[in-house]
Amino acid sequence: MILRVLATLLAHYRRHPGQLAMLLLGLWVASALWSSVQAVNATAKDSYARANALFSANLDELSRRDGQPLTREDYLRLRREGFPVSPILEGTLEIDGERLTIVGIEPLTLPSSNTLGASGAALTAFITPPWQTRLAPDTLDLLGLSRQQAPGMTPAVDSAGDRAGDSAEDRAGDSIEDSGQRLPPLALRTDLPPNTLVMDIAAAALLLDRDNTLSQLVTAPGALSTAPEGYRLTRAATLASPEQLTESFHLNLTALALLSLVVGLFIVQAALGLAMEQRLTTLRTLRALGVPAATLVMAILLELLVFGVLGAALGLASGIWLAGQLLPDVATTLSSLYQADVNRSLVLPWHYWVGSLAITFGGLLLAGSGVLWRAARLNVLALGQSQAWRLAYQRQLNRMTLGAAAVAVLALGLVLWLSLLPPGQGVLISFGFVAALLLSSALCLPPLINGVLHLLQRWLRRHPLAHWAVADIQLQLPRLSLAMMALLIALATNLGVSSMVGGFRLTFLDWLDQRLAAPLYVNASPSTLAPMLDWLDARPDVAETLPTARGSVDLLAMDDAQEQGTRKRIALFGITPAPTITDRWPLLDTTEGRPTAWAALSANSVFINEQMAVAQQLVPGDAVTLDTPQGARPFEIAAVYPDYGNPRQQILVPTEVLIQRFGGEVASIGLVVNDRADRQALRQAMTDRFDVSTEAMVDQQEIKRLATQIFERTFTITRALNGLTLGVAALALLATLLAQARERRRQLASLWALGVPRKTLTFLPLFQLGGLALFTGVVAIPLGIAITWTLVAIINVAAFGWRLPLYLFPWDILITLITALGVALAAAALPSIQLWRTSPQAMLNQGAT
Amino acid sequence: MNYFRLSTALVAMACATLIGCQESPSDAAPQGFAGLGENAEEFAQADASTPLSFPRDHGSHPDYRIEWWYLTANLEDDKGEPLGLQWTLFRQALTPPDERPAPSPWAADQVWMAHLGISRGETHVAAERFARSHSEHTNGQAGAEAAPFQAWIDDWLLESPPGANFEDFTLQAYSGEGADRFGYTLTLSAQGPLVWHGENGFNAKTVEGQGSRYYSQPFLSITGRVTLSGETREVSGQGWLDREWSSQLLSQEQTGWDWFSLHLDDGRKLMAYRLRGGGEAGGDYVFAHLISVDGQTQLIGADRVTLTPLETQTVANRDIPTRWSLTLPDAGLQLIVEARHPNRWMPTSVPYWEGDVVVRQAETQENVGVGYLEMTGY
Repeated sequence: MILRVLATLLAHYRRHPGQLAMLLLGLWVASALWSSVQAVNATAKDSYARANALFSANLDELSRRDGQPLTREDYLRLRREGFPVSPILEGTLEIDGERLTIVGIEPLTLPSSNTLGASGAALTAFITPPWQTRLAPDTLDLLGLSRQQAPGMTPAVDSAGDRAGDSAEDRAGDSIEDSGQRLPPLALRTDLPPNTLVMDIAAAALLLDRDNTLSQLVTAPGALSTAPEGYRLTRAATLASPEQLTESFHLNLTALALLSLVVGLFIVQAALGLAMEQRLTTLRTLRALGVPAATLVMAILLELLVFGVLGAALGLASGIWLAGQLLPDVATTLSSLYQADVNRSLVLPWHYWVGSLAITFGGLLLAGSGVLWRAARLNVLALGQSQAWRLAYQRQLNRMTLGAAAVAVLALGLVLWLSLLPPGQGVLISFGFVAALLLSSALCLPPLINGVLHLLQRWLRRHPLAHWAVADIQLQLPRLSLAMMALLIALATNLGVSSMVGGFRLTFLDWLDQRLAAPLYVNASPSTLAPMLDWLDARPDVAETLPTARGSVDLLAMDDAQEQGTRKRIALFGITPAPTITDRWPLLDTTEGRPTAWAALSANSVFINEQMAVAQQLVPGDAVTLDTPQGARPFEIAAVYPDYGNPRQQILVPTEVLIQRFGGEVASIGLVVNDRADRQALRQAMTDRFDVSTEAMVDQQEIKRLATQIFERTFTITRALNGLTLGVAALALLATLLAQARERRRQLASLWALGVPRKTLTFLPLFQLGGLALFTGVVAIPLGIAITWTLVAIINVAAFGWRLPLYLFPWDILITLITALGVALAAAALPSIQLWRTSPQAMLNQGAT
Repeated sequence: MNYFRLSTALVAMACATLIGCQESPSDAAPQGFAGLGENAEEFAQADASTPLSFPRDHGSHPDYRIEWWYLTANLEDDKGEPLGLQWTLFRQALTPPDERPAPSPWAADQVWMAHLGISRGETHVAAERFARSHSEHTNGQAGAEAAPFQAWIDDWLLESPPGANFEDFTLQAYSGEGADRFGYTLTLSAQGPLVWHGENGFNAKTVEGQGSRYYSQPFLSITGRVTLSGETREVSGQGWLDREWSSQLLSQEQTGWDWFSLHLDDGRKLMAYRLRGGGEAGGDYVFAHLISVDGQTQLIGADRVTLTPLETQTVANRDIPTRWSLTLPDAGLQLIVEARHPNRWMPTSVPYWEGDVVVRQAETQENVGVGYLEMTGY
């Protein structure tokens, strides 16, 4: 019997294919956006897990206290002294125009808890010429190879990406066959991170043209209780893994996806509710014919399942397609922002599929629960009466108001909780706050609209048609309210996110202008830059050289400056405090103004970046204890500077101090040239004199262009998801209107019969809906501003470590209103056109039935 | 006995090492235990054509595939408690001499491995180290020099002082940090001559003629300090140093061995082994050398030696014979050889059993010596 009941129920959709389409559309978009973001997240997680398994993240690391690069002699000396260290050589190479990371390892000494250390399979083949290139199957896509043909192939290398400072003579010395040009034979290993080629250190040294220098000396966690004399030991635990760094980023994505899911489910709910409404008569007939309520509920449940399977299949398929489109941009963002390497093709574990299906079905059941409830409590004798329903709706509005108040209290509680937390924490609570704010506002909206409509009705008493229009929209409110709530949420989020991105862009570009003070920059290896500095200083066409330097230092816990105390490796950055720089370098906070801060920097104080100030809760005037090569020393913090785009904490000192006291090395040289200097000639002279490429000297404009490009890409996915959410809301509204268009025609037919011109009847819904949407848009503006504030003041601080000023863009607000109006008019237009095309005869028939 | 250890080494180093073996146990044809039966025609072959030559042969022989420096010792600490220890350095060639890579910073043609073991009562600790050769470095991470004699990996070092080449030695090897640290500092001094096994120091290991160059210093007297379980004790006793190199040690049918090196109380030394498989008609290959007090060797024919397991115990989920009957009727020896404790498993990359034993007169149960036993392929 249940199948026959199901067939009867489904027959409804043969008469109303539009409702079926709307239902599936809702399920489809909800599940598609959710599964695409989850696919992106799952792929990124997989990449992080593989990177973590590789090494750096879980091994202790040694570096020289004098700041000199590590060499093979360091390795051999430490081994002969009994320290269980293992060398790692890293570099990049270009193959087919793609940059790939080369990791050279010494498998015999690599701690065996490590994936690679343990992978002794064919150890001899790995460590003996022609060696082996181990890579993950997904890296093959970059090389344009298939899995079948790849093993054993030896792809050609375009050029060495960052050959370190050995001289040309050294390089020419040891070429074994042509291994400088080709990779060792490929061998696939699924557990390697993407875009990474792992090979024996001997093969890597030849490919990268490095004789004796090393990138890292690592040792098993805890294998050394103290650092060897002359070396610095950094514990694995103090190095942040890509997973930790990017956690907030993925949380952001998930939040946006969840929003789309909710909006999509609004559509489903509306469609199901409408279908239920129209099938009440059928249901009552079935009950009267003796079908038990339980069978009816089961049949509806079955119907939901059928839709669920269809919707989930559609959603998953298009979600994966969408993820494939978004992934390259996400990967670029993650690598430029966090130096986290993420696979550019999708990797989906089994729990991804299960999770996506579960979310679709769960959402569907949630959206359909109301329908099931009503079917179970069906009153066989009741008649579907709009007025009676209106009374019931009044009760529902009251409940909504109560609910909104309750959620608002929750939101308030969350804000209080946040205010008690130190800055930079509580990403989840912040998202909870935004969700509560959105929900509370959405719940408020129908009672608010209802109230406004009541006032309007009173005011329009003398204008019968307008009075009718208001009363009519009030009658439609129960059905429209869900779509309007979805619209409100989408509009507010859209406004919030676009204001945040816009504000960030302004701040970022401004900051970039201030940071890039020199018109030209030279990038090369430190060993080239050091002699180049003297050479540049001696040239008449160079007005000023502004070298920067890099290094690192261990930050000792404030209360315990002992050798054994807790320590954290912090990056050091050196700048030349010449007026060209100090006049423009952005500072967020100082003790006694900029001039004093710069004077202090030259006199043994340091600046820290905002990320560090937030994470360590430091303000200008505090002191930090640094483990310098001369021992633990306190340094006063003179200022805090903004450092957008940097995921890590950083301390700023003058270049000279960094090189002399902290063993740093020159990282780049900023150049100010005379007005009449021939830049081309300078570039040529530099290339001729030093072993650097012509690209070593970069124009400031070029750097800005690159930085801006990276910035734009960072927010591509945010924008894309944002736009899609608004699209979904528009669809929800359109679906609702289409679904009830037929019924509306019947009501309008009576008006037409009373003598209202058809033209007026056609435009009436446009005014009704336009007004409603405009009102929703107005409510969305303060809500959007609240969201912007939460994003810039709380979520960004926690996610990236920087706080942005709150910018409001009137144009964005206007766009929001126009969008609301546009969406509503577009949604209302189709039913209106249908109405316009309906023949008077058909209209009369509608009235008759 | 060294040779077993060797196997360990081999394995690890030998290409496929453990993991390689574990990954495709079924694809590979049997190659003897730990790859020791692998064919190695492109390497120099061990034979009896030339006598051993010293000090040259104390150093490494990179043209041969495998080689080791193998020390075992039966000691007593200052509290009278018996203690056994092992230190072995293995070398394995990665490529035949003709195929060595051109010298470059990290290119290697040899892999080195070392094992350190200490046993006292139920306590048994072991450590393992690996290193590659550095073609451009004479004083690399691991190596062995003939004169003055030095054999080392990382900070583990066995060396002879100038002027006392291969007669006096010092050995230092420690592993671990803090309370887990164990190891020893020993002074070793030869009380007798070097002993050559076989004609010109060539010791056949199969009836087909595979074998190794093999000599020993079984007359070592040892003093020193051993750190174990958080305390350091003075020790003294006797030791046995084996030197062996080859390119194909075993036949492909040989799956493991039981190797004895015994110090008898009357001053004689006994080396005996049983290679399982590879003997005549597929039987075991058995060999024994009885070494007199002045270092003269007496070869005992395979039919005049019996080696029989009497009792097995479960160690590391394997049945390991821990009590043996060893009889040499021509020498009038009927011995029971028993492990001091079954817990002497070496959980190294190629795992095996190696530990100190006591030797008793079969009839009287009277203690007549001590020694070391190595068992592989179980």
